[in-house]
Amino acid sequence: MANPSTPPRSPAAPLREPVVSVRGVAKRYGAVRALESADLDIRAGEVVALLGANGSGKSTLGRIITGITKPDAGNLTIDGQSAHLTSPAHARRLGITAIYQELSLVPDMSVAENVWLGHEPMRLGGIDRRAMRENTAELLANFADVFSVPVTPDTVVDDLPPSERQLVEVVKALAWRPRVLVLDEATASLDSRQVDRLFELVRNWRDQGMALAFVSHRMEEIFRVADRAAVLRNGASVGEKLISETTERELVDLMTGGGELAAMVLQERHEDTAAATAPVLLELEAFSCAGVEPLNLTVHKGELVGLGGLQGQGQRQLLLALFGAATHKGSVTLDGHAVLFRNPRQAQRAGVAYVPGDRNREGLLPIRPILENLQLPGWRDYGTPLRLRQARTDANAAVQDLAIKIDSLDEPVANLSGGNAQKVVIGKWLMREPRLLLLDDPTKGVDVNAKAEFYRLLHRLQEQGTTILFHSSDDSELLGLCQRVLVMQDGHVRAELTGDTLDKQHLVAASMGAGVAVSAP
Amino acid sequence: MTRAFLRNKTYLVPLLLLLVAIGLNYYLQPNFFQPRVLNGNLRVMLPLMVLAAGQAIVIIAGGIDLSVGAMVSLVNVTLVTLITRESGPPEMLLGAGVALLLGAAAGALNGVCVAFLRLQPIVTTYATSFLFSGVALIILPRPGGSLPRALTTFYRSAPLGIPATAFGIVVLLLLWVLLRRTRFMQNLYAIGGSAAAARASGVRVALNSFFSYVAMGVFAALAAMMLTLSTGSGNSRLGDAMTLPSIVAVVLGGTRLAGGRGGVVGAVIGVAILTIIRNLITFANVPTWYQTLFDAVIILLALAGPGIVRLIRERKA
Repeated sequence: MANPSTPPRSPAAPLREPVVSVRGVAKRYGAVRALESADLDIRAGEVVALLGANGSGKSTLGRIITGITKPDAGNLTIDGQSAHLTSPAHARRLGITAIYQELSLVPDMSVAENVWLGHEPMRLGGIDRRAMRENTAELLANFADVFSVPVTPDTVVDDLPPSERQLVEVVKALAWRPRVLVLDEATASLDSRQVDRLFELVRNWRDQGMALAFVSHRMEEIFRVADRAAVLRNGASVGEKLISETTERELVDLMTGGGELAAMVLQERHEDTAAATAPVLLELEAFSCAGVEPLNLTVHKGELVGLGGLQGQGQRQLLLALFGAATHKGSVTLDGHAVLFRNPRQAQRAGVAYVPGDRNREGLLPIRPILENLQLPGWRDYGTPLRLRQARTDANAAVQDLAIKIDSLDEPVANLSGGNAQKVVIGKWLMREPRLLLLDDPTKGVDVNAKAEFYRLLHRLQEQGTTILFHSSDDSELLGLCQRVLVMQDGHVRAELTGDTLDKQHLVAASMGAGVAVSAP
Repeated sequence: MTRAFLRNKTYLVPLLLLLVAIGLNYYLQPNFFQPRVLNGNLRVMLPLMVLAAGQAIVIIAGGIDLSVGAMVSLVNVTLVTLITRESGPPEMLLGAGVALLLGAAAGALNGVCVAFLRLQPIVTTYATSFLFSGVALIILPRPGGSLPRALTTFYRSAPLGIPATAFGIVVLLLLWVLLRRTRFMQNLYAIGGSAAAARASGVRVALNSFFSYVAMGVFAALAAMMLTLSTGSGNSRLGDAMTLPSIVAVVLGGTRLAGGRGGVVGAVIGVAILTIIRNLITFANVPTWYQTLFDAVIILLALAGPGIVRLIRERKA
């Protein structure tokens, strides 16, 4: 796919002083380093695109600029003055506004009420509803011919489809008359006509002197609307390019670190050709659900298939739908039988297990003992009254097997480290010996040693014939472990990487929707 | 489209209910529309209407207040302690001022606990209700006290042939129209609708919900004044039976218990419906505990309603 035509644009104007300037900003969340040293300038009359793979820190940087997150170190200057943003409201007073993804709309309120929430026009000591309506209508007129349903100032937001809600978010940001506008995945739920209109407006605002920062997971959009690209890798700024002077290939190389690649790949990948000849365990035909476009997939017994791409592109929804926790269309065949799981319980009885990424919310009962956590899905195997001694013996066997470090089965799970807690989550499903294991970003927030142990466990399971669908936001983990990786973007499977194409460049390029065949340097 | 229509006509269903209730009452009690009977009904309704108005504001903001009855009792005993049969205008003004301050202070206590200390509103206000009741009992251990005759007569009067209590209802509705036009009320709707979205829009969530409880306290004090004018004496348990009806009236008036939707007009209609149903129960010679049963069923339906609707939708899907 060639670069989409870049719209005519005035030759790069002489660089103005940046409105917002970030230097050496760092941010940690517990043991996780989200940003190490990020630099970014946002200038009036320019659109700067912020690029980076998973874990590069681009969303953290966006949150720091809009006052949601406070940095641990580094400088943020606004109009040349050092600034310490304390809240989104503070940033807004200084003229910095972000377009949120649905987060900031109250469903029960009308469009006009939402747009002016927090700064309603006043008259004679009361809210001036007429002015509110008129001003909203004026702003909505920008999108009048691209709305897919009629939107008036009095429309209740709850009645609007996601694309129109996103446009209301845009209008809401505009109502603050920002000097600096951050668009964070603002196009994610828009249709193509709406994206075209938004980009038209973005160019107008830029020409009128607004400073814009643009975060998108679509490479094509970056080439359409941005003037400059700033690239982050592993929490640090690694370069800037003028869009008119760069290529998708060059940007992907910057994001992945190009030649450093070889060193990053884990040498854990097993070359077992048996998987391809093994019988088919899972077959999906025209499978789709909310957030996932129709896809076909065949997985052999004992295979470990990776699900990659940027976060939130439908991977989680796919796994949840397979586990019966969300409705889906299309057919699922498990071990030769057509199956339809209406709830997780049915899936579990058919030998499907799901390990959630957010283990504290969905995977564990933190204040309950380890024993209860391990046996939660399996009490019905122990009769009435429960044969507790047997349950204990079995749980102990699982603890030994997984090398979970605990003092006693009666200790609450909350006392365990992240890695050990995650093993309890996996342990509770392994005791049921699943045929199909669905892993939803299981190593998030787990330390390196625990990860290595976890990888060995996966291989052991594979050798025992367990089939695994493995979603991870850690690209090198996918590349190191899987024979085959499906890359998702906007709910579509953009690429299926195997053999020669299974490398970081292809993975990142596909996750940004860049179709260029990137060959390893 | 239909949903938007129904939402804009929030008060349609409560109004229909009210008409049916009035019709039934008229059938059982043909003199229902005589000024004397009507006036008697309004005198009973007004204090609960004022109380339910405050409750509606708290519920719209996503909270609830179970201490309102105890607040009414507390203000009632304070009033009859400060004002006696012989009191003149200065004592009356002092009593009214103290009553309003006391209500605001009681509400502020609830507000601090719920909004700033982030305690559960149901548990917190249930607990503070015992505090308020206790203080009321200390102030007035035995029922008693009386107001100047002029005051109680005024409450029963009908200047220009219209009951004074009817003017009270008009004033209450006007107050609501003004309140609805403030940023404060707009913020409360936003907080009840989605606190996260309100915060992201720069609304000071804790501060606004704190003031919703303060407003509740002021409305409780006003309700206590009306009630004291109506009974003319003090009783430390006078308001106890008003808590549940105040919530039921809000729900009957179409306000969502989870917050974000509804209004005071609905609460006023809700009180009218409740009072008339109470009349009907009396006329039908049914034991009065059916009234409590009715209240409880309304609340259970309101709580279960959203869940039932969702279940039906999922079945269809």
